[in-house]
Amino acid sequence: MAIAKAERLMNLALCLLGTRRPLSKRELRESIEAYLEAGSDDSFSRMFERDKDDLRELGLVIETVENLDGEVGYLARRDSNRLPPVTLDAEEAAALGLAAKVWQQARLAGAASGALQKLRAAGLPEDVDPYEAHGALEPRIPVHEVAFEPLMLACRDRRPVVFDYRKATAAHPEPRHVEPWALECWRGHWYLAGWDRDRGAERVFRLSRITGKVRSRSGRFTAEVPDVVTVRETVASWAGETADRSALIRLRSGAGYPLRAKATAVRELGDGWDELEIPYGHGLDAWLVEFGPDVVVLEPAELRADVVDRLRAVAKG
Amino acid sequence: MAGKPVRPVNAIDQTRRMLSLVTYLKERPGARVEDVARAFGISEDELVSDLDVLPMCGTSFRGGDLLDIDTDGERIWWHNPAALGEETAEPLRLAADEATALLVAARAVSTLPGLRESDRQALLRANAKLEAAAGEAAGASSRLSVTFESEGGVFADVDRAISERRRLWIRYYSPARDELTEREIDPIRLVSVGHTYVEAWCRRSEARRTFRLDRVAEIRILDEPSAPPEIELRDLSEALVQPAAEDPEVVVEVGPGGRWVAEYYPHDSADELVDGGLRITLRTPDPASLRRLALRLGRDGRIVSPPELADSARRAAREALAAYDGVEAQEPHDGHAVLDG
Repeated sequence: MAIAKAERLMNLALCLLGTRRPLSKRELRESIEAYLEAGSDDSFSRMFERDKDDLRELGLVIETVENLDGEVGYLARRDSNRLPPVTLDAEEAAALGLAAKVWQQARLAGAASGALQKLRAAGLPEDVDPYEAHGALEPRIPVHEVAFEPLMLACRDRRPVVFDYRKATAAHPEPRHVEPWALECWRGHWYLAGWDRDRGAERVFRLSRITGKVRSRSGRFTAEVPDVVTVRETVASWAGETADRSALIRLRSGAGYPLRAKATAVRELGDGWDELEIPYGHGLDAWLVEFGPDVVVLEPAELRADVVDRLRAVAKG
Repeated sequence: MAGKPVRPVNAIDQTRRMLSLVTYLKERPGARVEDVARAFGISEDELVSDLDVLPMCGTSFRGGDLLDIDTDGERIWWHNPAALGEETAEPLRLAADEATALLVAARAVSTLPGLRESDRQALLRANAKLEAAAGEAAGASSRLSVTFESEGGVFADVDRAISERRRLWIRYYSPARDELTEREIDPIRLVSVGHTYVEAWCRRSEARRTFRLDRVAEIRILDEPSAPPEIELRDLSEALVQPAAEDPEVVVEVGPGGRWVAEYYPHDSADELVDGGLRITLRTPDPASLRRLALRLGRDGRIVSPPELADSARRAAREALAAYDGVEAQEPHDGHAVLDG
């Protein structure tokens, strides 16, 4: 039976961590059973390179050193691989215990548990149940978008990418060349901010509208990454959260609680209707139409026309 | 409690865990299987499968030094802790992904409106220490962020009611019916998935219900004790409202501008249409509640079935238009959200 990958990786890690002098590929192959059984030199070499990459993903700093004879050796120095002392009290430990359960995405969930395990090994207190400390609170970060993981890695490693993207109202997706800066989750949806190479401008993308694979591009970023990337503000403005004007509507008494909650002023008209002033941002027309005959837009004329237009489309349908 | 974190069995995660296990076990001869599994957040079976692998591992280039670790099922013994040398098996530095996963999650939770101040402070302190310990590995964590939405005042009251085991009275807004109803609920837990919800036993319907905090118009903590029946808690990470198989079916056809429907409504199927639109089939216990959706879609979509729902949307639109009679409609303009600006 083939030797399990975890066993092979573990052996490589222990060898590299345990040595004081660089070990050559040949020495490593002789020390690790799975490598002895790897077959040809080629397949061993490929396996070895992949394993080194995997260990680096786990945080191991592996140095490549050439000796006087020109032979390449590898080692993981203790100084560069040791966790600095970190002392957390019981409350802080409970807080991290809660945080470690938040990710719903396999890679980050694994990484969060792994981080907690490293801290436990380093003496993190473990006797506090996070649910006791935090009441019955379960924060969860959902990740349903397949584009998330490749984009997360591309943001991390600052690699340009290309993907097909369908704009909100477009019938067909179009390829977009992007230098990805940051990902942000708002109201359960993920967004990417980055530099759009074709448009020569900053853009925000919604991950659920990316179709097909995210592919990496070689080379570096060409545009400077800003110190602060504001995804949420941009998305909020599309969602109509940043209203700069005000609208006046009539609302049937007792109806439309969310509109009342948003209103800056409410006047009872006494005839079964109230008059409300509400912030007028993007998307208000679509929202008002949802209330059907319980809402009448008074001002501004532009909003009134938009609502009438939408109602006509439904009335005809 | 329910809501177990996602934990795939893969070689990377297992290797990471075994490296930490070695460090952990070195300091704790005769550690109990039960305690180690709890400390590592894994099942005892997972731990035992790690313990099966460890004796095959070591620094054998020094001459066959494999880890002599075994367990009698209750305690774990490591008979040659010197096998790795004095200075090995030290705690390992955090990888970039590990630091990012914990830091981003802790930051997100710490911004939850309504979180107890002591919890918030503990999260912020832990984060600062973690950032310092992670060093460079913490750098990439600024490239991911998450915001949980919550109503702070409502959150604090629900949190208090849960910890004091008291019943709540709420006035709750139902968007499906555009109405406010009063209910008494026995709160069970708070769940944040983008928005924050309280899962509770509703005394009015005598059933489990989930309430979104920003739809709670009023809340009062009652003196009566909360007594929710023992119910199994579901994993709420997928969809909070799961339609039942017997619920009536609704078919909606949308144009490209209405594709968002598939992102916001749990559905059975969404088939591509030639014009770039979608034909979406979903189920709901109360199709009338989708009248709002039909109105909102406007020219971006229409209800295909049931016909009564399409009719009711048309009637509502005509009734609404009557209030505008005699008004010259201006040139309509496009009001779609164009996401990429």
